[in-house]
Amino acid sequence: MAKIDLNDLHLTFTVHQQKRVSLKEYIVRGLFRKSNAMAVHALAGLNLQVRDGDRLGIIGHNGAGKSTLLKLMAGIYPPTQGERVVEGSICSLFDISLGFEPEASGWDNIRFRAYLQGESPASLRGKIQSIADFTELGDFLNLPVRHYSAGMMMRLAFAIATAIEPEILLVDEVLAVGDLAFQQKAQVRMKELMSTARIMVLVAHDLATIRAMCNRVIWMEHGVAKMDGPPDQVVDTYIASVTGQTMPHVGAKAA
Amino acid sequence: MIHHLSAIWKFRHFLMALVRLDLRLRYRRSVLGVGWSLLKPLAMTAVFATVFSGMLGGGDIARYVPHLLIGMAIWEFLRECVVTGCKSLIQGESYIRQSPLPYGIYPLRTVLGQAIHSLIALGVAVVATFYYRPDTNPLGFLYAVPGLALMFLASWAAATIFSFLNVYFQDTSHLLEVGAQIVFFLSPIMYLPEILAAKGMQWLMDINPVALFMELIRTPIMDGAPPSVAMLVAGTSFAAVMMGLAAGTTAWLQKRVIFHL
Repeated sequence: MAKIDLNDLHLTFTVHQQKRVSLKEYIVRGLFRKSNAMAVHALAGLNLQVRDGDRLGIIGHNGAGKSTLLKLMAGIYPPTQGERVVEGSICSLFDISLGFEPEASGWDNIRFRAYLQGESPASLRGKIQSIADFTELGDFLNLPVRHYSAGMMMRLAFAIATAIEPEILLVDEVLAVGDLAFQQKAQVRMKELMSTARIMVLVAHDLATIRAMCNRVIWMEHGVAKMDGPPDQVVDTYIASVTGQTMPHVGAKAA
Repeated sequence: MIHHLSAIWKFRHFLMALVRLDLRLRYRRSVLGVGWSLLKPLAMTAVFATVFSGMLGGGDIARYVPHLLIGMAIWEFLRECVVTGCKSLIQGESYIRQSPLPYGIYPLRTVLGQAIHSLIALGVAVVATFYYRPDTNPLGFLYAVPGLALMFLASWAAATIFSFLNVYFQDTSHLLEVGAQIVFFLSPIMYLPEILAAKGMQWLMDINPVALFMELIRTPIMDGAPPSVAMLVAGTSFAAVMMGLAAGTTAWLQKRVIFHL
């Protein structure tokens, strides 16, 4: 039994201007409590219950809080207010090319990632060869990862991330992984994962994918679920609203 | 806090794999490899013993050389834990953005790696002590174990606190480097503790945690006797306060720090 419960969830974060703060400025700001930070209300009172068997699609314009919501479900972003209850093992497929140790070999990085996903040396022993085979990187796995091309990194990342059998699968956008041959292989693997996972949450701009993969869709706007229902109904309303107006108002950027 | 520690235990394989990687990378492409961690304190000690033994060591080589070697091993550990450890959250940003790991694991990576490294240097110092002080109790170094454990905990706590601080105020790492230089000269590492006491500056050692750990670790190894109960109480209290502060800092900032990275 896997579930995701979000009750009246708020997430506000402050974005600081990315510039060097001099000591003088630091003291002056500290004294007069004037901050140049901007508050972003990425999620504003979201309620969501996801249960076994749900294939949830999340749509909405850029900055509506889709990716933030996914990261919050994964436990990376803590909620500012409200309650997040997630039961079940999570596999998150976003930012998967982050967090490689550039100086370590491909083999070692497979181990680090697998341990990070909760494997133990014993449980990994049976899987590591199949992960390595899936990457099709062969002898390149003996080289430090910093010599890899972007496509090779993605192959490695994808193979490791999808090697476990999660109960909850969180996916951000459709992954464009490697060359054409690998992309097809990756899509087959994704479909497999999506069908075996108890819960799948997919953030995508490709509405055809959403219609095909999901059995429930929410439409996010300004940090709340504006609409929640069967895919065709929600997607059609969304399309109508976007084409009806010229362009949706782009709010605070929350990616 | 118990919850946090059990979460770290859950990811021990990940942690240990990274610690091993760090150790391997440290001496990558070097001819001497791990020999460097032995050679550096030996070379420093040779220079100090030649130049300063009369001035700072009371002219007693048999005491001054082990004093220096042990002191240097401890100091190197403390310094690295704080100066390198304060960068551990920034260094671990890519993991933080990807997986909800307990934050204590990042400073622990630095501190564990440094601990293994410094234990090698300390081993050399123990052997040198046997050589220079053959009549010392050969198992005396076992009395240093509580001190080493306390120092490990206190350093992990300090690294945790400073690594959070460093995310919000990045000058922390520079300030710590300057601070470390000052503390080095204020601590009885290259001089004997009596020298400070003779100048009426005993209070400086009483308030200096580095001097406390020196006493808890160096004296048992050199004299082969257990540290005094008062010292152990002081060390335990200090480590406990530091752990408490680290737990408080983590609890306070762990829900916000990701938005600052």
